[in-house]
Amino acid sequence: MHGIVYDPIRDEFTVPQQFAQAILTYRGEADGETPPVRIIQGPHTQLDAPEHIEVDVVHNEIFVPTRDAGVLVFPRGAQGDIAPIRVLKGPDTMLSGDNVLAVDPVHDLLLVGGQAGRGETRLLIFNRTDSGNTKPKAVIGGPKSHLNAFGGPLTVYPPKREIIVSVRGTGPFAELSSDEAYVGVWTIDDNGDVPPKWTIGGPKGILRMPRGIALDVAHANMIVSDKRLNAVLTFHFPELF
Amino acid sequence: MSELGKVAVQSKLGRALRLSLLGLAIAILWCSHEHRSHGPRLVGYELEPPENAGECTESVAAQQLPNWSGKVPLRQAFQVQRAVEKARPPADDQKLPVDLSQRSPERMIRDPYAAYSAVAVDVSHNEVVLTDENRFNVLTYDRKTNTRSTSVSDPKRIIGGLNTKIEFQCGLYIDPANGDVYAVNNDTIDTLVIFSRQAIGDVKPDRELHTPHGTFGIAVDEQTKELFLSVQHDNALVVYNKMASGSEAPIRVVQGSHTGLADPHGLALDEKKKLLFVTNHGSTHDVAPRPEGPKREHKRGGNGFPLSRDDAVPGSGRFVLPSITVYSEDAKGDAVPLRTIQGPKTQFNWPTGLALDVGRNELYVANDGGSSILVFDASANGDIAPIRTIRGPKSLVSNPTGVFFDHTNQELWVANFGNHTSTVYNPQSSGDAEPLRVIRSAKASDPVPGMGNPHPIAYDTKRQQLLVPN
Repeated sequence: MHGIVYDPIRDEFTVPQQFAQAILTYRGEADGETPPVRIIQGPHTQLDAPEHIEVDVVHNEIFVPTRDAGVLVFPRGAQGDIAPIRVLKGPDTMLSGDNVLAVDPVHDLLLVGGQAGRGETRLLIFNRTDSGNTKPKAVIGGPKSHLNAFGGPLTVYPPKREIIVSVRGTGPFAELSSDEAYVGVWTIDDNGDVPPKWTIGGPKGILRMPRGIALDVAHANMIVSDKRLNAVLTFHFPELF
Repeated sequence: MSELGKVAVQSKLGRALRLSLLGLAIAILWCSHEHRSHGPRLVGYELEPPENAGECTESVAAQQLPNWSGKVPLRQAFQVQRAVEKARPPADDQKLPVDLSQRSPERMIRDPYAAYSAVAVDVSHNEVVLTDENRFNVLTYDRKTNTRSTSVSDPKRIIGGLNTKIEFQCGLYIDPANGDVYAVNNDTIDTLVIFSRQAIGDVKPDRELHTPHGTFGIAVDEQTKELFLSVQHDNALVVYNKMASGSEAPIRVVQGSHTGLADPHGLALDEKKKLLFVTNHGSTHDVAPRPEGPKREHKRGGNGFPLSRDDAVPGSGRFVLPSITVYSEDAKGDAVPLRTIQGPKTQFNWPTGLALDVGRNELYVANDGGSSILVFDASANGDIAPIRTIRGPKSLVSNPTGVFFDHTNQELWVANFGNHTSTVYNPQSSGDAEPLRVIRSAKASDPVPGMGNPHPIAYDTKRQQLLVPN
C-alpha cells in the first residue's frame, strides 16, 4: 500500500489495495479488524494495480493512477463496481506507468509525478478536471531540477502554492539508500528545468529513502517516513507554512 | 458478520491497517550500534531533546559536499539556480533561499531493536538464525540461548549493511549441509541473497539471484536440488535450480486463476511425498499479457518470470478467504491445488510462515493476524479446525511471521514480529504454553512501534495522530 489520505471534513481515511484492486474507505476512528465503510472494486472500475491515491475532499473525488499510464477519477462516495467519471490517458498526457499524484483543490490542479524512462523524472501539472488525451499545462523536470525518482506520494500546501516531493537519491546503493535523498519543495507556478525552492533532510542530511509526507499545519511541522531508516521523522518547518 | 466485515477480516489490507497510531509526543530515537568484538549490537533508545528549527549555518563539512551536478556542490547549485531562475515571483527572488538541507528532525519514531521475521535452525552447528525486518540484519544465536525478560540476547554473528543487500528479509533457509544462509527480500530489492555460514558484518553476498518483485517464502528440496519461492505481488510460485545465480531464469512457474494462489506467503515442502504447501492471505486478481504499454516492468526481470502487475487484468481483483493450498512439487502453469485448507473453522488470519513435521504429519502455521500458532493435520482438506493452537500472554506468541520445525531436536521455533522475541516450544504444546526458551532483541518492557517498511503517511487532524501503513 503506497497511499493513504485522511479526510478531515468527514473524518475518514482512504487507502488503495493493489492485490485485490480495490479502494477502501474507513472511519477515522477505525481500529483492529474494522470493516471499510465503502469499497470500490469490480470490472467496471478499470483498477489494475492501485498503489497510490489522492482524495480531493473539496470536490469530492478520488484520483487513482493506473499501471498503463492513466489516472482514474471516481466520486468520493462511490461504492461497489462503478466506472470512473473521468479518465486522463493518452500520449499527449506524458503520463507514465508508475505515477504518484496530488490535487490542489484551491487552484484546481492535478499534479502527477512519474518517470518516462530512466533519468526522465518529471512532475506534470494538469487542470484538476482534465480528462482524455490532454497535455499538461506545465512540466517540471530536467538536470537542473535534480528531480530524481520519486520516493512516495506528492503533497501540496495550497495557501503557499507549494508542492512537496520526496526524492530518492542516486549512487551505488540507490535501490536501498542514498545520502543524496531529500524532500524538495517546488511551487505550482514552476515550469521547466527548475530547482527546488528548498530541500530539507538532505542532500547529505538525515534522510536515506524518504517516502510519505504529511503536514501538521497547526504545529508547522512536516512529517516524513523513511524506508531505510524504517522510521517517521518530524521536521519543524515554519518556512513552509 | 456483514459482507463488508468478512472482507475486512479476509483482506490483505488488514495487515496494512495495523496502523501505527503514533502519538506525536513519543520521540523514540535510535541509539547507534555499540560495537563489540563480535559485531554491532543494539543497546537502547533515548529521547532527542527538542531543537529550535533555526537556520543552519554553513559548516566546513557542508561546504565540502561532493558534487552532484559536476562542478559545484549540490546545495550551492540549488541556491544559485534558484536565484537566477527568472520565472520566480518577484517576492521570492529578492533573496537567496534558506538552506534547510541539514535541519535535524525534532522527533523520530524508530524502533532501535531487531524485529524478528523469519527463523531457521542450523542443526549441524547448533545455531538458530533470525532475520530482522527493522534494523535489516541476519542474526545468528546459539540454539540454547535463553534470555530473561529484563535482558537482551547476544548474537554470535550479525550480517547487515548496504553491501549485504539485506533489508526486509522475510524468508529464510539454512542449507543443512554447509550452513549457507538464504535470505529472501519481500518488497524493496528483487534479490535473493546467499551467504556462507561464516559471513559477518557488511559483506557482499556469496551469491545473488535476481527474482521477481515481492518474493516471500522459501523452501528447498535437497533431493532434487530445487528452490521454491512464493511471489506475493504476482500470486505465483517460481522454482529455480538451488544453485541458480545472477539473472538465471526459473525452471518453472505456477500462476493462474485456477491455482488458488491469493497473496501467497509461506512455503513448506514434504520431500518424501513431494508436496508443496503454501499460505495465502486472500487477495488476488487475474493476469494476462497486455499489449505493450509505456512501462513493462516484468521485461526488466528477464525471461521466465511470472506475469507481473503490469499484466493485471483491470477490475478482476477480489477478496477470498485465507487458505493453505497444496500442490504436487512438480506443479507448473495454472495448476489446480490438490487440496485447500480454507474456511472459518481454520482460524486463519494472515497465515504467514509455514513449517512441516513430517514425523507427525503436522503443519505449523504462523498466524500473524491472530497472534497464534495453528497446528493442522498435514492431510487436512477443506474447512477444518486446527488440532492445536498456541496462543496467549504466557506463550509470548505475538504477530508471528516465521515458524520452523527442528526435526533433530524436536523443537518448534517462532519468530514474533510483535514483541522482539523468538520463542521455542515443545511441538506438542497447546494453549497458553510457556516457551522452553526465549531469544530477545529487547527487554520485555521496551515499546514495540511495530513499524515495517512505512511508505505513505497521513495526519489525522482530529485526533492529532499519524496514520502509518506498514
